[in-house]
Amino acid sequence: MGAYRHFPILMITVPLVCAVLLPFLGYLRERWVPRAALVPLSVSTLLGLLLVGKIPAQGYLSYHLGGWEPPFGIEIRVDYIGLFLLLVVCGISLLAMVFSPRYIGKEVSGGRLTAYYVLFLLMSGAMLGFVATGDVFNLFVFMEILALTSYALVAITGNRNAVRAAFKYLLMGAPSSIMVLLAIGLLYSATGSLNMADLSARIAESGYTEVLVVSFILFVIGFGVKAALFPLHMWLPDAHSIAPSPISAMLSGLLVEVSAFALLRLTFSVFTAGNDAIIGGTSEAVSVFAAAAVLYGGIMAIMQKDLKVMIAYSTISHIGYIFLGITSFTKEGLAGAMYHMLDHGLAKACLFLCAGCIIYVKGYRRIEDLKGAWRQMPWTCFAFSVAAISVIGIPPTAGFISKFYLIYGNFTAERWPYALVLLVGAILAAVYCLRVIYYMFFQPDKRGAWEEGGGDAPASMLAPVCLLAAGTLFFGVFSGLIIDSLLKAAAFLL
Amino acid sequence: MRLLHNYHYAAAMLLFCIGLYTVIARRNIIKKLIGLNIMETSVFFFYISLGYLDGGIAPIRTGGADPARMVNPIPQALILTGIVVAVSVTALALSLVILLYRQYGTLDVDRLYRDEDGGTHGGPSGEDAP
Repeated sequence: MGAYRHFPILMITVPLVCAVLLPFLGYLRERWVPRAALVPLSVSTLLGLLLVGKIPAQGYLSYHLGGWEPPFGIEIRVDYIGLFLLLVVCGISLLAMVFSPRYIGKEVSGGRLTAYYVLFLLMSGAMLGFVATGDVFNLFVFMEILALTSYALVAITGNRNAVRAAFKYLLMGAPSSIMVLLAIGLLYSATGSLNMADLSARIAESGYTEVLVVSFILFVIGFGVKAALFPLHMWLPDAHSIAPSPISAMLSGLLVEVSAFALLRLTFSVFTAGNDAIIGGTSEAVSVFAAAAVLYGGIMAIMQKDLKVMIAYSTISHIGYIFLGITSFTKEGLAGAMYHMLDHGLAKACLFLCAGCIIYVKGYRRIEDLKGAWRQMPWTCFAFSVAAISVIGIPPTAGFISKFYLIYGNFTAERWPYALVLLVGAILAAVYCLRVIYYMFFQPDKRGAWEEGGGDAPASMLAPVCLLAAGTLFFGVFSGLIIDSLLKAAAFLL
Repeated sequence: MRLLHNYHYAAAMLLFCIGLYTVIARRNIIKKLIGLNIMETSVFFFYISLGYLDGGIAPIRTGGADPARMVNPIPQALILTGIVVAVSVTALALSLVILLYRQYGTLDVDRLYRDEDGGTHGGPSGEDAP
């Protein structure tokens, strides 16, 4: 037992503790805050990378807070899938944080600057905790930290539309949190435990009861709102498009995915998948809604005129993909859903950050204004195109790998209609993504809005954008590195 | 008879539905927040009634008291956290309401979100770009 067994808890607490300390630094030296905020996230990323290959043979690394044995104490449990998602969260938050200083310095006025970084760190730490926790009530607490910080970050610029979008998000998010709390209460009343592993054993023992079904449905609705599953998505287009771009990247690339992950974890580690009586009907309904989400998100994205709103609708469509993978209950589908969390995170973060670069340099938000943009912003446009190709799912990018496994998983489960929906979704994605690429590269710039050599975004903004784009290519070409262990982990879950 | 016996659960669910209805149906955003708080309270009530024992005593094991008569402390501990969360949510929501009222001069959701209906979905207009 080396020191690495303390790494998961350190990954979570370092950003949270630093977030509390940051206001003091902000009071003394506000200029240092953006750089200081990078430190805890780098530490978490480093610890996460050191954990790779250290997961013990039993399939998970368990940490007992304060030395109290579960089920009485709180457990942090990192399995293969959890570690994978922890690394995705660390990486993307770090890159979004690198992107932030220039952009936020322009958009957020002086006094709120420190608040932005504090909230950002709290949000990252809460996401890490949310992914790693092995205790249902802890899941709720981390979810609430995550939700509160994200409401505040959407509103951080303080302008009319931002406050309105944040309030809409809160009005949908807060009742959904209460539903999750109620679901946890029902679960506790039926089993008398809060630890996930213990719950799973007790549910397997007690078998079907109505209370468990109600609890599961409430979990699905609660996390469905957080993950913006189709009929519960109304908050997403506003919140994701109006938030400052690094926050859009975090919300769209990570928040919806970790919420979907929480549901995945509850489905497979608590309401064990074999227990068809409890989750069967609900998962059928979720499949239908997810299929509707793929089509609805795609069609709405095609109709948008605003770049960030378009990307936001595309997120709704891709959440549908993830849920279709989860509900296929095959190891290929699950591995595809997990891989989709990685490549969708990378691609969506990249797209939102590119939109942020364009807003930073030119202040343009409309897709029409992008005609001929490559002449002034070649790097941004190039990165945008790579990420957009990944969103469509064209071969050299990671998007292709995950879509392949999602469709394959749905085929092996003999869910032909859903496999077809996934293919149609890719065509819709091609329509809305290729339109933007076509405008950027092949349309003449009639108004003369873009000048050659007029300067791309600053290097501190371009670096994360290009790294994310390179990431989608890297994980497309070298997918074998990860997909094998994901398939193994998925087989372990089923 | 089971329902009569478990009337506290029924009451909690009734309160939950009243709260949810208020959040969804009321147009005034302050009333929506009140509905939110009713929902929260109903869940707290549900938790506390889980651990309640008629004539129960505090769960302190040192005095040689009978463990069978102790109330279940876990729901109470959980709800302490839940209350803190609820207070923070309400505080944040109310501060957003203040900002909204300053900038729009109304508390009516229909008027707040009116200009969203036209066009695609409204969303950010050019003037808010940095």
